[in-house]
Amino acid sequence: MQMSEIKKEDKMPILSLKQKRRIKNGVIHLVLISLSFIFMFPFIWMLFTALKTPAELLAGIGTLLPNDPQWSNFRVAVTTVPFFLYLRNSLIIVFFAVVGTLFSATLSAYAFAKLTWPGRDTLFVIMLATMMIPGQVILIPSYILYNQIGWLGTRLPLTVPYFFGGGAAFYIFLLRQFYKGIPRELGESAIVDGAGHFKIFIYIMLPLTKPALLTVSLLTFMFVWNDYFGPLIYLSNPDHWTLALGLRGFQTQFTGRYDLMMAAAILVMLPTLILFFAAQKYFIEGITFTGIKG
Amino acid sequence: MAKRKKLTLSALKKQERVLGFVFASPWLLGLIIFGAFPILASLYLSFTRYQMVGLPTWIGLANYRSLLFNDSIFWTSLWNTFYHVFLSVPLGLFVGICLALLLNSRIRGISIYRTLFYLPNVVSIVAMSFLWLWLFQPHFGLINQVLRPVYDFFNMEPLGWYRDSSLSKMTIILMGLWTAGGSMIIYLAQMQDIPRDYYEASEIDGANSFQQIIKITLPLMTPSIFFNFIMGIIAGFQVFAVAYIMTQGGPGRSTYYYGYYLFDKMINDNNMGQASAMAWILLIITLIITLLALKLNKYVFYLGEQD
Repeated sequence: MQMSEIKKEDKMPILSLKQKRRIKNGVIHLVLISLSFIFMFPFIWMLFTALKTPAELLAGIGTLLPNDPQWSNFRVAVTTVPFFLYLRNSLIIVFFAVVGTLFSATLSAYAFAKLTWPGRDTLFVIMLATMMIPGQVILIPSYILYNQIGWLGTRLPLTVPYFFGGGAAFYIFLLRQFYKGIPRELGESAIVDGAGHFKIFIYIMLPLTKPALLTVSLLTFMFVWNDYFGPLIYLSNPDHWTLALGLRGFQTQFTGRYDLMMAAAILVMLPTLILFFAAQKYFIEGITFTGIKG
Repeated sequence: MAKRKKLTLSALKKQERVLGFVFASPWLLGLIIFGAFPILASLYLSFTRYQMVGLPTWIGLANYRSLLFNDSIFWTSLWNTFYHVFLSVPLGLFVGICLALLLNSRIRGISIYRTLFYLPNVVSIVAMSFLWLWLFQPHFGLINQVLRPVYDFFNMEPLGWYRDSSLSKMTIILMGLWTAGGSMIIYLAQMQDIPRDYYEASEIDGANSFQQIIKITLPLMTPSIFFNFIMGIIAGFQVFAVAYIMTQGGPGRSTYYYGYYLFDKMINDNNMGQASAMAWILLIITLIITLLALKLNKYVFYLGEQD
């Protein structure tokens, strides 16, 4: 009898605590939903705009939705500039950048995480410090160097450096965290079995860190796909232009035609959006849950 | 037997010393060719006159002198950039931290929210500039249309945003807040490392959510706040593409940032000596700010200090 009474008394605050939590979660949901709406609306507005007629553009929010969706705007966008040539150029550069980054970042991350060698810790600090150097300091001599060896106007300045860890400091850092998380015994037992570090690297480390490799590939893909400054500086020949660079041609060609500009911008965005949604589980959770300590 | 094992172990150690360099060699080579060499070369170039033809001629401090004492555009661009950095970095930190605090809740669908807030970061700078050119368009743009009742109420002219030289820098700063979800990921990563029992213990002691944020979450987040602060300052000082696409530095040089001037000096004037001097001035400025920020580092709390 007494026992049950105590239990009842105990239950009361627990219930109200639960209710409190439920109210709190409700408020958080509400705030998040309204914030998401604000953050997402530019995208929605972009799509609406891309489907409007020039007359509807001038009406602003008077016509929220396009009356007669102008899907042909997308056709105009891909036919007035050599869209597929730009697409091809973007893909070529992105491909080599991703392969190069994976090659150089995984190898050096392994060296930093699993091997003991003189100068390792100093070099690790130097690597982190390189993230803090303004790009311009490196840009000018590189530009001159590329000019002298005849790389200016080719894709080489935009691809070759990735095979040498160009811009990979953060990825090396990220991969090192992943490799450190793999128990030492796994590698040690393999060494006793007579496997060398190259074998451990290829048969143990790489397969076990596929999500991390995917994250690094995605980040590289997005950076290179979206990069504007590099192509602007190095690709003087319009036949080599990437989508990001070619997109700017719309601005001069279609002054005031925001419907066509938005259609083109959506087409350029689409691959990154699709990739991001397809892999967002690895992407955000991958970075979030590795932690950044150490 | 034991002796042999020891021998092989030391042999393995020796092998590791070599292998370390072998594994790191692509990055090490890159560090020398694409890092150390250009940095030293740009330092040298900053003391020379060099227009991409012939050989650089040594002119001592002349580049620095003419930039600092005879170049009003240099100072305009520097002022514009400082304005940008000193507003966009704190605002970006604030929005990023608020988003991260909200998204650290354990509620259903949280990963969907995280994805949505991160989404603007996958948009290229060109597409983003197009989008905001349209949104901020003074006559037909969405923002001024939505604000029309406000304008009517206060009986004022609609704001010109990027077409108004007193607002153009602010417009670019506001637009940048759309991508604040990028830093959010770094904060979230750190928040995951905070042990749950800290919160549970404080809850038993009667702390409310606000107190938990002030007393537990924020202090333990300081390393990532510090990291994002430094990265934000470095990125802020390099602002260029947005202005290049949206405003071409205008109206009236109001968005002519430091990176823009450097770009013009380099690509249009081929004045590699002065461009290098500008790059080094930028490096020194960021270095000073980073060192000042490192002074604040004593307030940065490192959880456990392990590893």
